[in-house]
Amino acid sequence: MAMDDKRGYRSGLVDLRAGEVSREIFVNEHIYAEEQERIFARAWLHVGHESQIPKPGDYFVSSMGEESVILCRDRAGKIHVFLNSCRHRGMKVCRYDQGTTAVFTCPYHGWSYGTDGRLVGVPYFREAYHSRLDKEKWGLVEVAQMHNYKGSIWATWDPAAPGFTEYLGDFTRYLDLQLDGWDGREGQAEVLGGIQKWLVPCNWKFPAENFSGDTYHNISHRSVDLAGIGPSGAGRRDMGERDVSRKLHVCIPDRGHQTIHYVLPAGKSPPPAYLNAPIVAEYVRHCEEERRRLRGEEARLVGAPGEIFPNTALLSRQPRTMAVWHPRSPHQTECWRWFFVDRDAPTEVKHFLRDYYIRYSGPAGMTEQDDMENWNYAHAASRGTIARRYPYNYDQGSGTAVTNYEYQGLRVPGEVIDLTETQSSEQPMRNFYRRWAEFMEADDWSRLATWRGGERKAAE
Amino acid sequence: MSAINVRDLAPGTSIVLADGAEAEIVTNPGDGMWLFARYLSSPRDPTLVGQEEMIFAPDVVALGR
Repeated sequence: MAMDDKRGYRSGLVDLRAGEVSREIFVNEHIYAEEQERIFARAWLHVGHESQIPKPGDYFVSSMGEESVILCRDRAGKIHVFLNSCRHRGMKVCRYDQGTTAVFTCPYHGWSYGTDGRLVGVPYFREAYHSRLDKEKWGLVEVAQMHNYKGSIWATWDPAAPGFTEYLGDFTRYLDLQLDGWDGREGQAEVLGGIQKWLVPCNWKFPAENFSGDTYHNISHRSVDLAGIGPSGAGRRDMGERDVSRKLHVCIPDRGHQTIHYVLPAGKSPPPAYLNAPIVAEYVRHCEEERRRLRGEEARLVGAPGEIFPNTALLSRQPRTMAVWHPRSPHQTECWRWFFVDRDAPTEVKHFLRDYYIRYSGPAGMTEQDDMENWNYAHAASRGTIARRYPYNYDQGSGTAVTNYEYQGLRVPGEVIDLTETQSSEQPMRNFYRRWAEFMEADDWSRLATWRGGERKAAE
Repeated sequence: MSAINVRDLAPGTSIVLADGAEAEIVTNPGDGMWLFARYLSSPRDPTLVGQEEMIFAPDVVALGR
């Protein structure tokens, strides 16, 4: 697995038959540069949420890979995602995190763009350009495709990429758990407060694989469990619904998405939760009742940490949050974390959840601090000339996943490992790196859209 | 003549432009560089009168009537 640092990606760095992944894919600068082209310029990426830009002229500056982008709502109310770079000399046309504007004006030479991306102001247009500059041609660069999925905004630079719901495949139900109301109504989520942003000195794939479903590292959070930050005064979260449920790893093999997942027994309601806050406990109890009424058997699905390939993490229950792992260099990741609540939840419920969420997640969250420490030191200890000769081990539970899994009449699509039986597996990480290798090797979507009948050979 | 800080100008304010035209501010995006204004007069190009255009800050040389 050793390789010359001057070389980039090559087949074999992800070897799933052997259950090995080379450290080079985390620390090699050439591979990192290739990822920007082959993954972040082609995959669907999470940009933001429509509740962040409710009115015409509202904008939120986000990232797609290394690129700064503007998520905005134009004067007609239409949502756009633009590259945040002036077409004249490349200066950022928006240097604020968020706000409301009529135009995006480049501070360098003054080119100005409407919120629909059109170039509307060019200094000395008549005198210096003799009115001949084609303004229609020189508007802000817009993403090739954008999709509003239940309020969450996703985009890709690749016009050939499949549509977003096709890209998600059978993973839609897990994103639904994030974005639908806890009472089962569609698309009820809104962003709670601001976005937490911070830098971690590690490769972006460390948090991505962690949120793919690494239950093996639970021991890292032992101190948080002992501190008892959970909303019922014990542990780090309420465990009642998990303790009575079937615990699964679910992987969507053609897509590279994966998650931990709980399935309640048939006819079983989740045990009481949020016991330190009676108003929240009652709200959740009411929501669960409504969800069973609206969704029937589907209400037995309980969300947990998951990852949409390549860099968006989900967690739909405690805490209810999404994160994006923005690559900044092979050795640095900018983490962005959104917190969600049902938009018509009582104010007291929102306040309680906000306090609990930030106690758990984000740069000051106790559990996320544990994770960051692991990613930081694992990355640093993998950069050396000697260290990078030795691959990581991803062999746990290899070859034991099943398809067409069913639990008490509820079928779960994808490759499934029953963690209630096996305690732990690394199937989600293998699924993630298999897809990563496919993106690094395939030149076009005819080979990436393997569910359309294309061949699969990367990494295995 | 000292430069006019266009950020301070409210909609409805009349401005005189370098080519002698006069215009009334419709919207001020507040970026310090541009104003949306409607032409009240334009000796150089009378067809501009009544039209709304973006006016670049250095072109604003005085306040109007």
